[in-house]
Amino acid sequence: MSRDVSVKISPVETIESLTKEAEHLKIKLEDERQKLNDVTLAAVADRLEIINYMNVKPRRTLKGHQAKVLCSDWSPDKRHIVSSSQDGKMIIWDAFTTNKEHAVTMPTTWVMACAYAPSGNLVACGGLDNKVTVYPLSLDEDVTLKKKTVGTHTSYTSCCTFPNSDQQILTGSGDSTCALWDVESGQLLQSFHGHAADVMSIDLAPSEIGNTFVSGSCDKMVYLWDMRTGHCVQSFEGHESDVNSVKFHPSGDAIATGSDDATCRLFDLRADREVAVYNKESIIFGINAVDFSVSGRLLFAGYNDYTVNVWDTLKCVRVCLLYGHENRVSCLQVSPDGTALSSGSWDCTLRVWA
Amino acid sequence: MERLGVEESEALNIANQLCQYGYFFPVSDTKNLTVRDDSSLYRFQSPYYWPWQNRPPDNVEYAIYLAKRTLRNKQRHGLEDYELETLGSLRKNLANKWDFITMQAEEQVKLAKVLKKGDKIVSDSQERAYWRIHRPPPGMVSSLEQCPVPNRCRNGSRVRKRTIEDCKREVELLKNSLLRTRVKVSQALESMMQHVETYAEYDPLIVNTQPSNPWVSEDLTYWQLNSPLVEIPTEKRVRRWGLSMEELVSDPTGIQEFTNYLRKEYSHENIRFWMAVNDLRRSSQSQIQRKVSEIFDEFLAPGAPCEINIDGKTMEKVHQEMKSPSRFTFDAAQEHVYTLLLKKDCYPRFIRSEYYKSLLASGIQPSQKKRFFGFGPTKKKASTSSAPNPSLLQQQAPPTTIVGCGALSKRRGSDRSLSGSAHELAISGVRDTRVPHSHSQSNLSDIPYRAEVNDEYGGTDPESSCRIKKPPSVAVVASVSTSEDVCPWEVTPEPHSRKNSSQMDSCSSSSDISAVVTEVSDRFRRTCGITQQSTLDGGQSSRKLSTVSFVEQRRASVSVPIRHSDIRPSVSSFEESSPAVFAAPVSLAVASDTDNKTEEFTSTKTFKKSCSLTKTCSVTGANAPIISVSSVTDDTVADSIEHKEDDEAESSLSLPLAPLAEPDAESASSDTPLETESRPEPEAKSNDVCPWEDEETCKVDAPFVKTYATLGYL
Repeated sequence: MSRDVSVKISPVETIESLTKEAEHLKIKLEDERQKLNDVTLAAVADRLEIINYMNVKPRRTLKGHQAKVLCSDWSPDKRHIVSSSQDGKMIIWDAFTTNKEHAVTMPTTWVMACAYAPSGNLVACGGLDNKVTVYPLSLDEDVTLKKKTVGTHTSYTSCCTFPNSDQQILTGSGDSTCALWDVESGQLLQSFHGHAADVMSIDLAPSEIGNTFVSGSCDKMVYLWDMRTGHCVQSFEGHESDVNSVKFHPSGDAIATGSDDATCRLFDLRADREVAVYNKESIIFGINAVDFSVSGRLLFAGYNDYTVNVWDTLKCVRVCLLYGHENRVSCLQVSPDGTALSSGSWDCTLRVWA
Repeated sequence: MERLGVEESEALNIANQLCQYGYFFPVSDTKNLTVRDDSSLYRFQSPYYWPWQNRPPDNVEYAIYLAKRTLRNKQRHGLEDYELETLGSLRKNLANKWDFITMQAEEQVKLAKVLKKGDKIVSDSQERAYWRIHRPPPGMVSSLEQCPVPNRCRNGSRVRKRTIEDCKREVELLKNSLLRTRVKVSQALESMMQHVETYAEYDPLIVNTQPSNPWVSEDLTYWQLNSPLVEIPTEKRVRRWGLSMEELVSDPTGIQEFTNYLRKEYSHENIRFWMAVNDLRRSSQSQIQRKVSEIFDEFLAPGAPCEINIDGKTMEKVHQEMKSPSRFTFDAAQEHVYTLLLKKDCYPRFIRSEYYKSLLASGIQPSQKKRFFGFGPTKKKASTSSAPNPSLLQQQAPPTTIVGCGALSKRRGSDRSLSGSAHELAISGVRDTRVPHSHSQSNLSDIPYRAEVNDEYGGTDPESSCRIKKPPSVAVVASVSTSEDVCPWEVTPEPHSRKNSSQMDSCSSSSDISAVVTEVSDRFRRTCGITQQSTLDGGQSSRKLSTVSFVEQRRASVSVPIRHSDIRPSVSSFEESSPAVFAAPVSLAVASDTDNKTEEFTSTKTFKKSCSLTKTCSVTGANAPIISVSSVTDDTVADSIEHKEDDEAESSLSLPLAPLAEPDAESASSDTPLETESRPEPEAKSNDVCPWEDEETCKVDAPFVKTYATLGYL
């Protein structure tokens, strides 16, 4: 305590002193959290039945990309998918029929982010061009004619999403920030500073009225942000390597993460701590993407070992493995109504599982 | 494999990965890097070459390697075409270093000659495998390929230099986190689990969707029924609105219906304001100013056309904010409206309202289609006339969450047990042992109980003049005897009988299938040899009702007089259409299983089912079925455990099969199955499913059911 005071008194706050104080606070925080850690998830979930039967099979294979698929997103209509790939192509699929409806060539390679707008009439994408670009979709004319660059980062765009509105885009970037942009004017509405390394993934709180989002970064941290103030409101650590993917639990009270340390973790917002780790000795490869089934019972995770592991979030055991991809699974998402799971891979294909 | 506890397929996958990353490689096959599940040999790569050493190879080394190979025995070390090509281009690019490269290569060849032959072969192959991975032939993928993205290259972690701002921010954050209020982990987890359990039935990857998952069946009906804005939402969807306000407002149709309802009450300005503010928050920057003033003029200005009612403090805040309009100007007011007015007042009223009940009643019940009663040629289009048994059975979910009281989990439990959860069944099994239950019940229903019914019927409920209460207590004893050809379709006795009951529910409730009911009851009479007045009664009443309807679904009901015990008839109702897709194979297997166990299956399952059918004399002449109780009780614990195994395997199957009932077309109007406001205690305790009682009939029903249940358990 006395040290705390001395820090406050010292007229010049140096990086060293602040770092020290931060360390000190971290220890205190961990103590606080530990105090309330009275039970494990697996113990609580003991009374539940095991899910021992999953009838999830590959139902569609979308072929057409010439290079690694890096990102994909479901349309709100539950059957279209936008996907982007390493060669700068972005394809809009009717996943149900497996037809390609649009193919857009970006002036960059490694399009690492793409997203459908809530209206379904707009897609956004970005990558090594450090930008986020919006394409209105119309069947009549070339979609590239109406493209519009909305925002620019100082490093690559790693992820983007529309926060319940066609009028705004939220992006995460290699410059370790996240940013909220106004689509129409390209104005930066809010920026989010705090991560110490590249932001790899963001996800919005599921609630319609929610004003928060979560981000995962190569600094191994997971931050929860207030979109209105731009402040970080909660932070979680625990991962031992880059956090590649973050996803809100459908209840909005927890966050799942996937990391290069070959674990997925579950952090509870109200308990303010990690409540579960999903790993296995036989899993030695990193995770690129995670998503929940609509009830939150199942957690799908795409791994670098070409597989998708399905975890029972409550019992903390693996339900099954989905084989099929012939290279790393780079992205994965459950469809908006929960009827299917899409996965994209470095093997240039996307697959739909149901 | 044992150590890691993995299956063969996974082990193979891991091995393949390691191979691809160059930790070991096939000895005989230089082309492919795959591990096969045979006895072929693999050689470990020398640790020097392992990728985590993290020494990205440079072209000079590669050139030396290639040059070295050209210097050696053509036959064994000859270069592939692509290697020759790269050698050529390397020579061009590295022209200035080329002398050095050839020198190095010669040196290495000399060194190699000193080695023993065995070692030579090994090191050669290791080197070769290394380059095979790091300089793959064209068209082959390499696992080691890196993103060109700075951070993704592992060499040198590229963490940004921390500035004093960063530190300050971190300290600030940590301080705030210390002040944060936390809940106990157990508490947080419990609520998470509750959430997951509640929503499990809405998860198409856990429970099968009705009528079918479009991705599996190629049938788009599911999406058509569930598009964002529909005229008649499915019953399940309406039920979901009852879970929480958030569920309601996140569904466009939900908002629409909610608004319609509030409009009727002349209080829709709140929801409209809420929506307008939401819209404002998500508008483009250029429209903010305009929208702010529009909203203010419409909802907040004194004498506004749709003035909302907020307290002075909030109003003050709004006026403050109005000085510098932003997308967040009305947040305080919106919050106020949302939590105090909409959520605490309008929403509960909506959920209790007749309006909601009628929505629920008229909700589409898609499952009908072909799953169950597939073979009825006389099948009517079920769209309007449907409200489901799941509705009936699972009805509880909404009330539980709303009521949120202690009996919660129990109720949900009972709900689930009907839809096939083994775990719950076990619980129910523990509860009581009443082997002769069926009898007592049927007896009961013909004597004291009946009187009461009549009583009620005539006396207590004058306004619904032609109200018919039908308590057909059907005791189904499900002991599947080995004997029968019986049910290859049914999986285990348990779900089977469960299904039975539900089907009976469905028939009596829909009163469409009176024929079947009678058939069943007839058989009952025959098999049981006990006076089944009640059944008879049931038959009659349903016949009465059937005047309005046809046989909508057909079911062949097979009853098997039992061998082992005289008192226990086994009634298996045969559904032709038992879910074609998955039930068939599995059920066969399990059926044989059960055969073996027959002797052990001395379980008595009783299904009480009291259906109070209410014909209201409203203009529409509505005919709303209320099925109030359907209880499943096992008699022995052992037994239920016995079943458990089967059940578990089966549960996923039986879920989709879960009973469907269809209320009448017109039932929409008034008496709809809805949540229980007050639920008789015995019922809650037991495994009953008496999810909902109509609000208006509640008073009448409650005691009725109560007595019933109590008597049943005597």
